[in-house]
Formats: sequence, C-alpha cells, structure tokens
Amino acid sequence: MSEYTKKIIAEVIAKNPSEPEFHQAVKEVTESLDLVFEKYPEYEAAKILERMVEPERTVIFRVPWMDDQGEFHINRGFRIQMNSAIGPYKGGLRFHPSVTMGILKFLAFEQVFKNSLTTLPMGGGKGGSDFNPKGKSDNEIMRFCQSFMTELYRHIGPNTDVPAGDIGVGTREIGYLFGQYKRLKSEFTGVLTGKGLNWGGSLVRPEATGYGVVYFTQEMLKTKGETIDGKSVAVSGFGNVAWGVVQKINELGGKVVTLSGPDGYIYDHDGIKGEKVNYLLKLRASNKDAVEDYAKKYGVEFFPGKKPWEVKVDVAIPSATQNEIYVEDAKTLVENGCVAVCEAANMPTTIEAYHVFKDAGILFGPAKAANAGGVATSGLEMSQDSMRLPWSSEEVDRRLHEIMVRIHNTCRTTANRFGTPGNLVDGANIAGFLKVADAMLDQGLV
Amino acid sequence: MSEDVINLAIEDVFSSRIKKFRKLMPYKIREILLVSSLYDKYLFEEDGRLYELIRGEYQSLNLSHSPEITHVTTSSEAIELLQDVNQFDLILTTMHIEDMHVVKFAQEIKSFGIKIPIILLAYDNQERKEIANNIQASVFEQIFIWQGDYRLLIGIIKSIEDRKNIENDTKAVGVQIIILVEDDVKFYSAYLPLIYTEIFKQSQRLISEGINATHRFLRMRARPKIILCTTFEQAWDYFDKYKKNILGVISDVNFLHNGKKDSEAGIKLVQKIKNDVEDIPILLQSSQVEQKIKADELNISFVLKESPKLLHELRRFMNNHFGFGDFIFRTPDGTRVGHAANLIELEEQIEIVPDESILFHSERNHFSTWLKARTEFWLANNLRPRKVKEFKSVDELRKKLVSSIKFYIDIRQRGLITDFNKETFDPKNSFAKIGYGSLGGKARGLGFINTLISNYNIWDRFEGIEIYVPSAVVLATDIYDRFLEENDLFDFAINETNDEEIIERFMLADKFPSDVLLQLIDFLHIVKEPLAVRSSSLLEDSQFQPFAGVYETFMIPNNDKDLEERLEQLLQSIKSVYASTFLKKAKDYLKATSYRLEEEKMAVIIQKVVGTKHKNRFYPDISGVAKSYNFYPIPPQKANDGIALVALGLGKTVVEGGNTVRFCPKYPKHLIQFFSIQETLKNTQQNFYALNLEAEFTGGDIYLLEQLVESYELEVAEEDGTLSHVGSTYSPQNEAIYDGISREGMRIVTFAPILKHNLIPLPKILDTLLHYGTWGMGTQVEIEFAVNTSVPKGEPKEFAMLQMRPMVLNRESAEIDFTGIKDSNLICRSDLVLGDGIIENIFDIVYVDIHEFDRAKSRETAVEISQLNSKLVALNVPYLLIGVGRWGSLDPWLGIPVTWDQISGAAVIVEAGFEDINVDPSQGSHFFQNITSFRIGYFTVKSKDKNSFINWDWLANIEPEEKLKYARHIKLEKQIVIKISGKQNSGIILKPNVEDNF
Repeated sequence: MSEYTKKIIAEVIAKNPSEPEFHQAVKEVTESLDLVFEKYPEYEAAKILERMVEPERTVIFRVPWMDDQGEFHINRGFRIQMNSAIGPYKGGLRFHPSVTMGILKFLAFEQVFKNSLTTLPMGGGKGGSDFNPKGKSDNEIMRFCQSFMTELYRHIGPNTDVPAGDIGVGTREIGYLFGQYKRLKSEFTGVLTGKGLNWGGSLVRPEATGYGVVYFTQEMLKTKGETIDGKSVAVSGFGNVAWGVVQKINELGGKVVTLSGPDGYIYDHDGIKGEKVNYLLKLRASNKDAVEDYAKKYGVEFFPGKKPWEVKVDVAIPSATQNEIYVEDAKTLVENGCVAVCEAANMPTTIEAYHVFKDAGILFGPAKAANAGGVATSGLEMSQDSMRLPWSSEEVDRRLHEIMVRIHNTCRTTANRFGTPGNLVDGANIAGFLKVADAMLDQGLV
Repeated sequence: MSEDVINLAIEDVFSSRIKKFRKLMPYKIREILLVSSLYDKYLFEEDGRLYELIRGEYQSLNLSHSPEITHVTTSSEAIELLQDVNQFDLILTTMHIEDMHVVKFAQEIKSFGIKIPIILLAYDNQERKEIANNIQASVFEQIFIWQGDYRLLIGIIKSIEDRKNIENDTKAVGVQIIILVEDDVKFYSAYLPLIYTEIFKQSQRLISEGINATHRFLRMRARPKIILCTTFEQAWDYFDKYKKNILGVISDVNFLHNGKKDSEAGIKLVQKIKNDVEDIPILLQSSQVEQKIKADELNISFVLKESPKLLHELRRFMNNHFGFGDFIFRTPDGTRVGHAANLIELEEQIEIVPDESILFHSERNHFSTWLKARTEFWLANNLRPRKVKEFKSVDELRKKLVSSIKFYIDIRQRGLITDFNKETFDPKNSFAKIGYGSLGGKARGLGFINTLISNYNIWDRFEGIEIYVPSAVVLATDIYDRFLEENDLFDFAINETNDEEIIERFMLADKFPSDVLLQLIDFLHIVKEPLAVRSSSLLEDSQFQPFAGVYETFMIPNNDKDLEERLEQLLQSIKSVYASTFLKKAKDYLKATSYRLEEEKMAVIIQKVVGTKHKNRFYPDISGVAKSYNFYPIPPQKANDGIALVALGLGKTVVEGGNTVRFCPKYPKHLIQFFSIQETLKNTQQNFYALNLEAEFTGGDIYLLEQLVESYELEVAEEDGTLSHVGSTYSPQNEAIYDGISREGMRIVTFAPILKHNLIPLPKILDTLLHYGTWGMGTQVEIEFAVNTSVPKGEPKEFAMLQMRPMVLNRESAEIDFTGIKDSNLICRSDLVLGDGIIENIFDIVYVDIHEFDRAKSRETAVEISQLNSKLVALNVPYLLIGVGRWGSLDPWLGIPVTWDQISGAAVIVEAGFEDINVDPSQGSHFFQNITSFRIGYFTVKSKDKNSFINWDWLANIEPEEKLKYARHIKLEKQIVIKISGKQNSGIILKPNVEDNF
C-alpha cells in the first residue's frame, strides 16, 4: 500500500469514526488503485481521492409517521449524494433497521464505481432509512413512504438524483414513493427506477443480470475465438439470475446442464430447455428452497449435498450465493477442461479459488463487471423515461448486449494498459475509477 | 323476519327459555306428612309399598323427584313434628287418627298458624258424607275418596301444585289451563288421577320430539295445568282471570251455583264462557243422557259419566280439541285433507293442503292451540295473532306460517345436543347423539361451542356470514364398548403391537350394534354430502392432555348412489377410528401420560364436511386454527392477542404444518412473513387439499382412506373460483406481488383480499370467538374452523367451528420464577425470549466466540456453522446455537448471514449483541416461520441489557469437540436444560448438573 493511500485511509478513519463499513470500503478500493496513482501522479495532485471519499452532499432528515394504532413514530432518513461527475446521482434506497450513515456511505462509495463501469451516464449515491418494513401493514408502509418522500423530493429529480430500490424497497415501495413525488411536484418524470411496467418501468429487468453475464461470457470466449454455441454450461442456483442465464445460453446455442440449491444439484443431460425453463419460476416459489423437485419432475439425476462444479462442462456460471466455489471446486473445474468461469452472483469465488483460475489461465469474469447488467437496466429505464418511449424487450436486450460488450472491452483494454492483460478484476476496478476521476479533472475543482 | 322478532325468538328458545322453564313450578310438594292410624296406613299399602309405587309412577311419567312420605299415627306426634321441623309441604290425613277427631286435628293445626294444606282422604262415600255435614269441613283443602288407586295421591299432589303455581307459570311462559268443574267427590277422586295421567302421557309423547332429556324434562313442567273447581263462581273466576291461557273446560252439569245446587249450572257456565271467548273447547259430562242435546245445541262435546268408555272418550276429546293428538287438516265441511304428528310434518302439510283448510284452521286458532299443548308457546303466540284479513292472499298467509315454523325449527336446534331422531334431525345444523355414553372430549368441545354461539347470539353477529357448528351425529362411547365387546376385540387390541394386524382385525369385525346401524341408515338418508369421521376420545382435548393428532380422522365422499355402499364407507371409517385407539402412536402417547389404555374410550363424530363441490373436488375455501395465546408475539401484538393460521382448502395443510398465512386477529394487516417478495414466495402456500369425490374407495384399508384427500395445484383453485378470496399475484417482470388475482402472473396464497381488504371479516370473527372461548372455558383456547364462501348468491357465507379445546400451556414454566436462580448456575439468561416450555436432552453446543468473531468475516463464519450443523443433523443430534449479531442477517456486517438450512438442527438459538456497536437484534425474524412451526426457543441477549448475559468464559473453558476458525462444537456429558416462560418472555439455560439446585 502506498503512503498516499495509507494517508487517505487514516484521514477517513479520523474524520468518520464509528463508520467501520465505510473504512473497509475505502480500503478495498484504494488498495486496488495503487497502480494508478503510481503511474499517474496528476490524480494525487488534484486530490481526486480525497474528494471522492467526501460525499458531495449528505442529507439527513426526520421521517415522522403514524402507525395503524395511531401511535407516532420517528425514523431517520438519509440520502448520500456521493458523486455526480459522470451523471445524476444514482443508487438505491434501503429501508432496514441496520441503516446508518456508515453503511450508506460504504454502499454509495461502491456504487460510484459500479455505475461508472456500466459506461452509462450515472453518478453514485445511496439512501434509505432505519425504518423496519417487516411486520408493517401496507398502509403503514405507504404512510412511511409518503412521509419519506415529502422531504426527499427537494433533493432529487430526473436530472439530479434518481434513486432505485434496495433491501426493503421493492416495486411496491417505489410505487408509493413515486406517487408522492408526482403529487408534490406535479411532474411525471423518471425520478425513480424500478417502477412498475405500466408506469415507466423497463422490460427485461429480472432477466437483465443473467443476460448480461452471458453476453460478458460470450465476449470473453470471443477473445479465444470461441462462442457459446455448442458449449455445455454448469449453472448454480435456480433464482432470477440463473433463470436469465439459462434463457440466454439457450438462445445463443449453448446447453445448461445443472442447477443447484442448498439441497444439492440436478444434472439434466438434455439441457434445461423449453417448459423446463418456466418451471424454474415455480421452483423458486416453492418454499422448500430446493431443486430436488426438478429432478423428480423431469426424471433426471439429483446429487444431494453436492455442488455442480464436479460436472464436466465448458463454462461455469455461479449464480447462487457468495463463496460457492472453493479451491477444490476450482481445481476440479480446471481438470475437467472448463474454459471460462463468469460470476453472476456476488463474489461466489473465494480469493484462493480465483488464483487457481488465474494460474490455469482460464477466462474469468469478475462479478463487478459481469453482473453489471442489472444496474445497466436502471440506466436504460432512465433513458426510456427521458425519451417518453418504452422499448420492446428486444430493444432493451439489444442495448444491454451493447453495454456488456463495452464493459468487457473497457475492462480488457484497461487491464492491458496497466500491464495485467486478461486480468479483468484489475481492469474493472481501475476502469470504474478512471472514468469518474477524469471527469472530475475535466470539471475543475467542484 | 324482523330483527326484533328473531331476537325475541332466540331469547325465548335459549337463554331465557331454558331459564324460564326452570322457573316454572316453583312450588313443589316434596315432603308429605301422613297422619293416620296404622290400619289406615296398612290399607294404603295393600298393593305394596305406597312410597315405591308413587316413586315408580313418577319415574315412568318422567316427573321430577317424587315426594317423601313421613307417617305418624297420632295428632300429637304430628303437631310436634310440624312445630319442630318446618319441612312439610302437605298433610294427608284420614278419618282415623288415634287421639283426636280429624276435624279437630285440622283446626288445631291451623290454630298454630301452620298454613300447610291439609287433605282428607275418606274411604267411602259414607265417611265423606259425615264430613260434608260437618260445618268446619272447610278447614280441609280438599276431600278425596280413596279407592285403592295410589295414583290418586299423584293427582292430589299435582292438583295442589298446579293451583299454587298457576299465577307464576301463566305469567312466565303462558302455561295452559284446563278447568275441571266437578263437585262430586267420588267422581273427581276417580277422574282427577285419570286426567292427570292422561296429560302426563300425552305431554311426554309430544315432547319426545323435544330436543334432549333436560329440555324434555323442563318442558314437562310446562304441561297444561288442571284446576279443579267445585262451584260455578270458582270456575268463572278462574276462567275470567286466565282466559288467555285456557286450553279447555271439562264440566259437570249439576253443581253449586249461587250457593245452591243448580242442575243447569254447567250449561250456564258454558254459555257465559262462550259469550266471552268463542273458540274454547268444552267437554260437558253428565250422567243424564238428555244433556247431550243441550251440548249439541251449544256445539260442544259431551260424554256420559257412566260410559264404560269414559276414559277413551276423554282421551279423544283431549286429542282432538286440546291439540294432544296429530294435527288433522280438514276443510270446512269436515273432509280430512292431511295430518301432522310433529312440527316438521306440520310445516310440510301447510305447504300442500288446500287454501280453504288453511283458512279454516287459521281462523279458529287451531295451529296455536295445537302448538300450545306441545308447550311451543313462542311459536303459538307468533301464529295466533295472524288474522286472515292481515294477509293479501291465502298464499301469503301460508308462506308466513311456513316460514315461521321453519325458522323456529331451525333455531330450536341450535346450541343443543339432541338425541338423534330422523324426524327432527336437520342436516344443516343439528348436533345429535346416538347412545347414552360420553361424547368424548372433541364432541364435548363442539357441543360447548354450539351452545356458546347460540346463547350469545354469535351466530348471526356478522352480516352475511353465519357462524355454526356443522351438523353432526356423535356415536357415544357405549357404542365403542359394545363394538369391542361384541367382536371380542379389546383383549386382542390392547396386547397386539402390530398396527397392521389391529387395523385388519377391526376392519373385519362384522358385528356392529344393529340399533345403531339402523340410526346410521336414517342419518345417511338425510345427509348425502361428504362426511368427516372424527375421533372424540374421553381423554382427547382435556386441559392438560392435548392428544392432538394422536387418533385418526377420515373423510369420505359419501356420494355413492348405493346407500349400502355409503354405509360401508362410513362403517369402515368408524372402525378405523376405533382401531386408532390401539395403534402404536396412541399407546406410546398414553404411556407418557398418567392414563391407562383401559380408561380411554372412543366416541366418534360423524360430521358434514364444510365446503362446496367443485367438479370432482370438495373443499372449503379456508381452513384454519386460531389460538388465544401467541408464544411469538411481534410488536405491536401481545401474547394475549392470539394468533391464527389459515390456508386454502382442507385443514390438512394447517395440521401438517404446511405453508399457511399466520396473522394476529387484532392486527391482520401486519404480516411479518410477507415483508419482501422473496420471503413471500418462500412462505406462501403452493398446493391445497381437497376431498376427491371420484377417488376409488376400496375399503378395508386405513391408509387408502387417507388417500381420498388429495393435493391440488393453485391453478385448480383459480378455475374453481376459490382463489379470488385468498390469492395474490407474483409478477416476475415487475418483481412485485399484487393483491388479488386480476393481473397476469404466478398465483400465490396471501389472504390479502380478506386480511387487507376485509372481503370477509375473518379476523374480527376469530377475535370474537377467541374472546368468548377463553371466557367460556376459563382458559386459553384453540379453535379449528373452516370457511365456505362459495355459496349461492344471496345466501350467507358459512363460518364453521370444527373444534375448540383448551390450549395446553406448559404449567411448569409458568410456575418457575427465574429470578431466584443464581447466575453462576447459568450459561445464559435473557428477558427477551420467544417460545415456551422446557427443552431437555441437549448435550451439544455450537457457538461463535464473541472475542474472536470478526464482522468482516461473517460469511466465513456462516460456512463454518453450516459445516457443524450438517454434521449434527446427520447424527440427528439437536443442539444449542449461540452466535453474535443478527442470525440470518441480509447484511453480513450486522450478523452471521446463514440461511435456515445452515442452522436447521438447532433446538434453541441464542443471539448475542455486538460489544462495539448497537445493532437491533433480529429476534429470529429471518426464520420466523421455521422458529414458530418447529417451536424453537429464541434467546436475544442485548449487550446493553444488564439482566441478560451469556457466560462466554464458561464456554471458552470447555475443550471443544471440534474447533474451527470462528465456530466451536462442544459435546457435554450431562444434559443442559433450557427453560422458557412464554408468559414472561424470559428464559434461562442451565449449566449441566445444576437442574435440581433450586
């Protein structure tokens, strides 16, 4: 770690006591940027990093609301407007009792780089409240959302700050928030993303992450002169992401042969195709959190307690949870001749396992870049709102494809530029930073 | 019918009616003093012991307790007794008292201020004349001639009681009166016993269509009263005073009028009465044949006193005119057009007889007369004022009559357990019994609810919804006894350990009590809908022995064209329930209690399944249970606000712990399990159960019976139209869940239309029922219910109560005071605990050491916990789990982000706060459904709470069985005991070896 980054971290800790999450985030990001600061001292000179760790604006406000029994409650509302160098602040709202300044700053800080990587004009932000929606009635949630927006509306706007959902804020809450904003401003604008389809939402949202991962994988394969067509693919999980992955792999001529749940995995030699894809939705809604039913329904093999990485496949797309590929799994995949691993879930590969892939020279798509499809679709929702023109699924899909190609190219060229060719992890970290940093340089000391 | 009328009717039929009936006949003769010579007494007892005869007669006539008779031979003894013990209600005396003349004796008694009626029994007319000539004869209440018929005593007793009670009883319920005018002692001495016996018998017969033994008994008190008058003036006074209540008059012709014998007195009386009230039935009796002509002129009945068929004539008169017999429908010209023996037949006949017959009877108040004799006063009064002119047409009158009777029959059945009778069994809501044994716990509970919802007018309290207990017949435990005995099964079953063997023998047992069989056939004639055959054992549902799910319940379609086949299905099910008393599950359960199998007896409830037929399926829209006490209350709920679990379709989903909607009736809109899309999808019901009406019933196999209930997909419910009340829609494109099923997407069961939009006031109903149940039973209760909303338009939706039982609260835990226990004996103490009871046999602890835990490494910690969990689950070893931060946290910074399967083996979970930052505890909310359904204890130890702690040092000092980087597994040699008081939301975890230290 360079002296410069050490100094920055020390300052952040001193200035922001009791925000351990934020400290951690700053540490992780700056560590991966040492390379950049060494090579290009102008960023240090312009104090870009010092500026980046200080939010452009934080708003803290009172959210009073009344429960169904007529009792008053006071919650705290936040909006962290972290960075708007490349576009309006963009980032989710979280309603959860754990919401504190530290957590939101940590999330907003990471959001800046995530959004930058999508290549779309989106700055970074985050917000929310320590309100606990669990066990609240619909009416209580609505009243809370309305009270929350009654203050927040002053600070956001389609060209200023466009919040989205996060934990505790789904389509329902977005609806209540949007309704109140519209009422206060008398404006129907794309001030929030994650809206319902018939009032400004975008198509392909649930599938976007999965689609994006597959496009990213395709781009990685292209660099070796290969395509998805004819490839066998191991997928873990069976949720929304896996569902999107399966659809897109099928579309591109590949064959997904596994799905997994906490109970084990299924192996479907013929591929998960046709009506079997729709069955995933049902499976997800079966409270059992298990995939064994798939095996029963379609008469395929089920391997209880095991992970799908022992199957011989060309491509692996972990789409379930964090930490599902360990060293042993990585070794097995490599031995079985797997050519590409692309992370659809957040951090599914342990550091040690990542090194196995890296050493074996296997194509590796890091989550940060590969699963940006979800965030990108928020950007596409904003575009459609501004145009007042909803796109067809095909149009959204086409744009998403373009974006994923661009992300892959950016990561790849950046990695090359910094002397770690093929290391898309470094490429993603640096590319995200550079775009924002350059914009800040261009826009002067603001 | 207006609400007032209905309320009055209910009032009459139930609470107050029974009460009013209880108030009838307040004056009763219980103690009789017989003063006579020994010889006279001997004469009384010629035919056997007087007392026993009277008692036997009382019993056979279904009268209440017979009076006791004390005998003395001298007046001095009598007076002594009367002065010392003020307990006698009646003095009977004969002409022959040892030490005094009977008249003097009577005067002496009066002079002491003793107001007890004195009756003189004379042996023959000679003796009577002697007295009659004595001026002071009026000291006697009445004089009778004893001719050796002991029933005279009953006549005397009842006659005195009637006279004393007349004012009270006519006012209370409008009891009817028969005036008997007769001054010939010899004649009335013979006649009174006859007429009383006749009335008792008639009343008894009529009332047998009454509802149950108690009710019948009480109604006997409302039988018509007989007032014996000896003069014109006396008769007229009674008539004048009680004319509204006069059922009829039976009169002699020649008796005292204006102080002297008047040979026309009877005729004059009749004329005077007829001038006042036209339609009172009158029977004139005389020994002179020529009086018949006068009677005919007056259009009244006549009987010759000397007629050898006197009794027969009397009976005919009473049947025809007092409404004691069948109701005979006639046209004005006397043509018989129909007859009815009971209320149900009356209603049926009124619907079909010709208009002129309806008019004829209505104008003459025949309906109400008939009903009054049957002590159906409410209905009688309700029908009486109906003047024909009030109605536009005869048809309207007819409709009015029918609806009144129907309504009455309907509410009369409510709230009472009747003896099964095919005539009166109403397939809608009768609750009847076959056999005389016990009903068993479940049926008792049902009977109680039935009473509760009727007596407190709960049944119609919610508009558009009727609350009721589905009609059922209970086979009492004596039938079980007979079945076991006749088939010689008991010794075999109690000793046999092979379940299959027991089931087979029970199924093959072919001797079923034939009288019961006949009644079951009657029942199947009436009820052709699917039936639930449910266990109701003696011990089931008692306060501290829940026995829930120990015995079997079956459902049968009961839809075969062939009644024999239906009977076969029913018998198989009954036998299966009987067999289940002896299966391993039950035997094991009993072992754990203090009961012996011999003490257990099984009654069987055969009950209509609540629901609607949809194609080949039969099911209710909603099934559920509700408990008045909630061990896992989440604010703002309190434990006493109760909790309900509901599901679509048959209750199997709820009973088997499937996915249901859990809500607090007080806060139905606060649904913790639906707080996010993901949680909702995870916790929502996917399938529902229904009775397959087309399932092949092969019989003879208990397991096949179970298969008649099948699982169906929600699509089926949507087709059936049953999903719209309970469904929501998941739209993957919008990543949203919408209430109701109007939009496209995946269907799920959330009960949103009911709980959020109050489509039916289910939460309010449950709240009300839990309230009354808790109050009525005097303890926390649990109820099972089913709701059928798929009813024809305009008809009320059905809320059926299927069971109510006391909730078994863990007594030990409620009694333990944790504060006295030394902290040094504890691993953990907390005042924020969910769950209830004592958990024992835990030897293993999995814990995360607070000193080594690193918030940044919570994911790794979760993996370690998962490994230890898998190990212990594979060994089938339950364990105590102790961790730091929110278990199952979505944010890895705030706790250990495990999923349920990663900690599924934990029997008790402890969540400790962080030392450095204050994080809201999860209180198990991430796994709420699992914790509540597996009844896991959940301790929250806040770092800032002084009363709560975890003894980390003690844990650290034990050499772990397995030590991972963050997590440890400790194996102990002695068990640790966890005690939770659900009432106080507090709990302790004791170190091994210290459980007996306090």
